[in-house]
Amino acid sequence: MKAFASSRLGLSAVALVSLAALTACGKQAVPPPELMAARQAYEDAAAGPAAELAPAKLDTAKQALTEAENAWKEDPKAKEEETLVLAYIAERRALTSAAIGEAAKARAERIKLDEEYMELQAKRASMTAEELDRVRARLAIETNKAAQKEAELQKERAAREAAEKRLSAAVASLAEMASVKEEARGMVITLNGSVLFKTGEFQLLPIAKTKLDEVAKALSDQGYKKIVIEGHTDSRGSIKDNEKLSLLRATSVREHLVSQGLDANKIQAVGLAATRPLDTNDTPEGRANNRRVELIVNN
Amino acid sequence: MVRQTMFVTCAVMIGAAQMACGGAAVPHAEMSTAQAAVRAAEVGGAPEYPQAELRLKHANEKIAEAESLIKEGANESAQRKLRQAESDAELALSLALKEQAKKDAAQALKRIKLLMEETKS
Repeated sequence: MKAFASSRLGLSAVALVSLAALTACGKQAVPPPELMAARQAYEDAAAGPAAELAPAKLDTAKQALTEAENAWKEDPKAKEEETLVLAYIAERRALTSAAIGEAAKARAERIKLDEEYMELQAKRASMTAEELDRVRARLAIETNKAAQKEAELQKERAAREAAEKRLSAAVASLAEMASVKEEARGMVITLNGSVLFKTGEFQLLPIAKTKLDEVAKALSDQGYKKIVIEGHTDSRGSIKDNEKLSLLRATSVREHLVSQGLDANKIQAVGLAATRPLDTNDTPEGRANNRRVELIVNN
Repeated sequence: MVRQTMFVTCAVMIGAAQMACGGAAVPHAEMSTAQAAVRAAEVGGAPEYPQAELRLKHANEKIAEAESLIKEGANESAQRKLRQAESDAELALSLALKEQAKKDAAQALKRIKLLMEETKS
């Protein structure tokens, strides 16, 4: 019975048996449709995955088919109910073994896919870890750069703040002799003339020099594009004298500032005499306010 | 002695049953086998898949036919119907198992495809 191990051989054996039945009866008996269906079903099952994955079920189907074939051999006209029943059952057994084979195949596929899924997931997890490391390294570099930039900015800011502080300190120390205002034409530092000069003279007083030194230092820290120094007088005396005196006084201030390191090319001195009074020229106080030197600083 | 008595009792009982039915015995064993196979197919999910459901329907119809044949005393025919019913029910179960396994495999494939797409992006 080793020939039955192979499904194809099994089939031919079955065919032989049927052939033997035909010859035995000496008639061209056509097998009943139930038996033909059973043969076809078994052939299909044997050609499918059942041969490999459900051999026991397939063998059961083969046994059922053999029983049906034998019954038909005994009863070639299929008069007996039993002959058709056996064929009916054989067909179902064959279909069953085919289905079980397909199920086993699908199950094996699923197991394989699940394994692949796990593998892929593990690979993905490790890949993500690698990527994370790369991103982390990149981030560290960026963070470092940002920190450096921030430190530089901090330094600049500190320097600027220090300069501003020095300027405001200088201006504060000038408070009794100067006022500072932000105007459209720039920052205007107004120096009281009586503190800077003796009446009718244009030489700076020593105290005025000390104060101007502080202003010069603050201005060089602060940075400037242009400074205009304006000399102003009250309305007493001749216009010509006043023009001359105001220009000389402005020039004195300019020269002192240049001697303290400010850029001569950026500083201009002008004498405006009494053309722009701040106050009335009818009272001594008003006139005192009008005698002044203004520094107009443009940043 | 006891064994002999039992044997005789059994023989008498079987004889009585056969006489009562006018031929073959009532196919109790085939009936319970067929019914068990139907229950297994139902539990195995046959009603959920059309092809399996059709085979399950055939099994139930054959059992019903067998029941009426038993009532008529046609035990031999009933027994045949029950054997057919059993093979139908078994087929129903295996078709359900096949469909379920295919469904699971398709799902596993879908899952892995999704993961691959995610990995690419």
